[in-house]
Amino acid sequence: MKTMMKIWTAGALCGALMLGGTAAMAQAVVGQPAPAIAATDASGKTVSLADYKGKYVVLEWTNPECPFVQKHYNGGNMPATQKKAIADGAVWLTVQTMDTDGDDAEAYADLQSWQKTKNAIPTATIIDATGAIARAYGARTTPHMYIVDPAGQLIYAGAIDSKPSANPDDIQGATNYVSQALAEAKAGKPISRATTQAYGCSVKYPDA
Amino acid sequence: MSPLHLIAGVLMCAPLVAHAQPVVVTEHVRSELLVHAPDGVAPGKPLWLGLSIEHQPHWHTYWMNPGDSGLPTTLSWTLPTGVQAGDIQWPTPRQLPFGPLLNYGYDDRVLLPVALSLPEHFDGDLDVKLRADWLVCKDICVPETGAFSLHVPATTAISTHAALFDAAAAQAPRVLADAVATGRIDGQGLVVDIDGLPAELATSELQFFAEVGGVIDHAAKVAQQWTGHRWTARVPLSAQRSESPATLPAVLVVPGQARGVRVAVAVAQWTAGTAPPAAASGALPVDVARPASVSLLLALGLALLGGALLNLMPCVFPVLSLKVLDFAEPGQDQRARIHGGLAYSAGVIVSFVALAALLIALRAGGEQFGWGFQLQSPTFVAVLAALFTLIGLNLAGVFEFAGILPSRIATLRASHPTLDHALTGALAVAVASPCTGPFMGVALGVALTLPTLQALMVFAALGLGMALPYLLLSLAPALVARLPRPGAWMLRIKVLMAFPMFGTVIWLLWVLGLQVGMNGVAGMMAVLLALAFAAWVIGAVDFGRGERIGFGTAAAILLVATCAWALPGIRASTEAPTTASASARWQAWSPAAQAEARARGRAVFVDFTAAWCITCQFNKRNALADTDVLRAFDQLGVVLLRADWTRRDPDIAGELTRLGRSGVPVYAFYPALAQAPELLPEILRVADLQRALNRPSTPVDGPLSTAQEGSPR
Repeated sequence: MKTMMKIWTAGALCGALMLGGTAAMAQAVVGQPAPAIAATDASGKTVSLADYKGKYVVLEWTNPECPFVQKHYNGGNMPATQKKAIADGAVWLTVQTMDTDGDDAEAYADLQSWQKTKNAIPTATIIDATGAIARAYGARTTPHMYIVDPAGQLIYAGAIDSKPSANPDDIQGATNYVSQALAEAKAGKPISRATTQAYGCSVKYPDA
Repeated sequence: MSPLHLIAGVLMCAPLVAHAQPVVVTEHVRSELLVHAPDGVAPGKPLWLGLSIEHQPHWHTYWMNPGDSGLPTTLSWTLPTGVQAGDIQWPTPRQLPFGPLLNYGYDDRVLLPVALSLPEHFDGDLDVKLRADWLVCKDICVPETGAFSLHVPATTAISTHAALFDAAAAQAPRVLADAVATGRIDGQGLVVDIDGLPAELATSELQFFAEVGGVIDHAAKVAQQWTGHRWTARVPLSAQRSESPATLPAVLVVPGQARGVRVAVAVAQWTAGTAPPAAASGALPVDVARPASVSLLLALGLALLGGALLNLMPCVFPVLSLKVLDFAEPGQDQRARIHGGLAYSAGVIVSFVALAALLIALRAGGEQFGWGFQLQSPTFVAVLAALFTLIGLNLAGVFEFAGILPSRIATLRASHPTLDHALTGALAVAVASPCTGPFMGVALGVALTLPTLQALMVFAALGLGMALPYLLLSLAPALVARLPRPGAWMLRIKVLMAFPMFGTVIWLLWVLGLQVGMNGVAGMMAVLLALAFAAWVIGAVDFGRGERIGFGTAAAILLVATCAWALPGIRASTEAPTTASASARWQAWSPAAQAEARARGRAVFVDFTAAWCITCQFNKRNALADTDVLRAFDQLGVVLLRADWTRRDPDIAGELTRLGRSGVPVYAFYPALAQAPELLPEILRVADLQRALNRPSTPVDGPLSTAQEGSPR
């Protein structure tokens, strides 16, 4: 029992390897603490939900190729919602879950140049290449929206608005659930629709 | 699919709005508006319209509830005055998995039929216009629109598409008039109970398609069981449930069959956490036990104690005892001993904290893991078996590690004895992982409900507890002085310790066998044989250069070959039940089985166990095999359920969390009429069981009369 170094190293390596496997969807629940986020954005800066304590944080799952995302970007609905939220002091994190084939830089470049053409200026943009953030939140669609309150509690999960369709004409006359929830939360009112059914394309989990 | 493609797709449809016709062809589907009027177009006669969608390979459209994403196809009709179109008679959908998500819909060809009713004095031809919107998806999605028009002459009977309409009717879920379906909320699940299902469904595993979205967790597994024609299932609810329908219509399908049955599940009460009135069906609520309110300080104390007791567990004892033998070796000064003790303790604590951090991170990522999760991986079990074999061979004197270490590392080791001690500590934690000792269960269960920092403190306390005996010895020379003088006996003890190591290997192979089957074990034993051969080659000091090269090459080839042969067998996990837990007396645990037994007013005892949990196996063969205990179980009609966690199982992990624990063993006894379970000690004694079973709260009449049903078929 003098030394264990060699076999221990082998054991540790194998131990690290065995933790793979498919994971179940997570259980982010409205009214409970929002799952932690630790990611690096395009500029290499660390993005952590904990850093935004004291502020409302909006999470937006996106995918520029998805017609439902295009519905809300081409007419400017999503960028306007975003601009308004940020102007009112909220933080806006745009997340794209995708298989980057190891090239995160290119994924960031594509997403950000698209955002530029749409006049979208989120607080930070995150490529979720492992799908870990999407799993933690149970993100299913693009768009899929979440709001975290200043205390770190999840207060909204669901759709961007009340009309599930890919038709841009439906934006007019739909209730924007995110703007509504933010306004209600800030006014100290209970949120009238705290969970709604998100609609859109599937989140492109890397193992899909 | 680029936005350009999309625009092209939409443009393709645009002209069709002007020159409407019954067929619309896009890049992804060919759709056609069809009519079926077998008795001609006249009031009171059957008249059907239907949208036929033929998908390109791998593309699909959606059911009324599209599942996790997508949109249902919608039809909007323009009809002559007085003519009315009904809803789509949705054919039975299919499950369409996409990564961790699940959608409901159709691929290949589908016909969405709609019944038309004509006003009483309708006369003449029928002109129909339809605007249909569908979302067609493969790995990308394209919203498409079709404008259709159809002229139906009044005079003739039209049955050109009879076969298609008949096929669609044969795929429409059968509505069951006699079935009674009820549901009640149980934590994060909807316990559905359906009586009066047709005989041909019985014993089949059913898929549950909720017609309303935003209610259930579509992709989650539905735990279910049959009792005659009665189907009981626990349908996991969406963590982000947005709908609470008083009646949840659902389609039940035997996988692979084209036609399901449709039931309407009456849900008792949607407010989670509140118990439904017990009088309603005689059903008792399955209560949610809050994690025991154990303070952080108490959890730290229990962890310390539990960690110290870990040293006595059969998997750790050899490691510790050999470590202690080191003290007896001559030539060590007190300073070096203290260094060694501190380094070993640091290795143990850091490993525990690292393992805990990994566990917490995985749980935060949504994984249903608990303590002991490492051993649910066959690969990890195989690696442990190989590691223990090597340690055993080393102890038996077959080879010395010095012989295989490159000289640079050997020098490093010699010049860094501290590192060596720390790594031994880490090894001790690795071998301790199969054991949840006494007091640990509560501490770990509490730890995982605490904020991360406090949870890590509990694990650190556990590590400190485990390192404590060795640390104390190293700090107290007076104790060392009491150790026997070194001598030849030390070598004998060392060799002797090889046997428990090999015993542990046998046990690990048994665990592996339950996880992956006999082929995996055979492959693994071949690997171990190759390892033993390699160890012999390394340890043979009298080899010449040629022999060393020859045998060494042979050993290397043998090792690589056996690994290559064994690996697929170890990786392939069998779906077969772990037979270790099956027995005549014990039924497999499922939330539904437990709820069902409790609903019948029976006392329930649940054994949460795993093949890799030594404490569990010990209890199973002792207290739980005690004839007096078994007789008491029978007399009280206790339903015995065994939850086998040898492989990963989110249901069991979830139930453990609910009980405030994170690992096995856990013994939960639910007295017949009591709400909360009683959790029995991890080291189960007959007296504990007797005491729990004989509590006055256990009714002495009622269930007694049906005692024999307690031992299931």
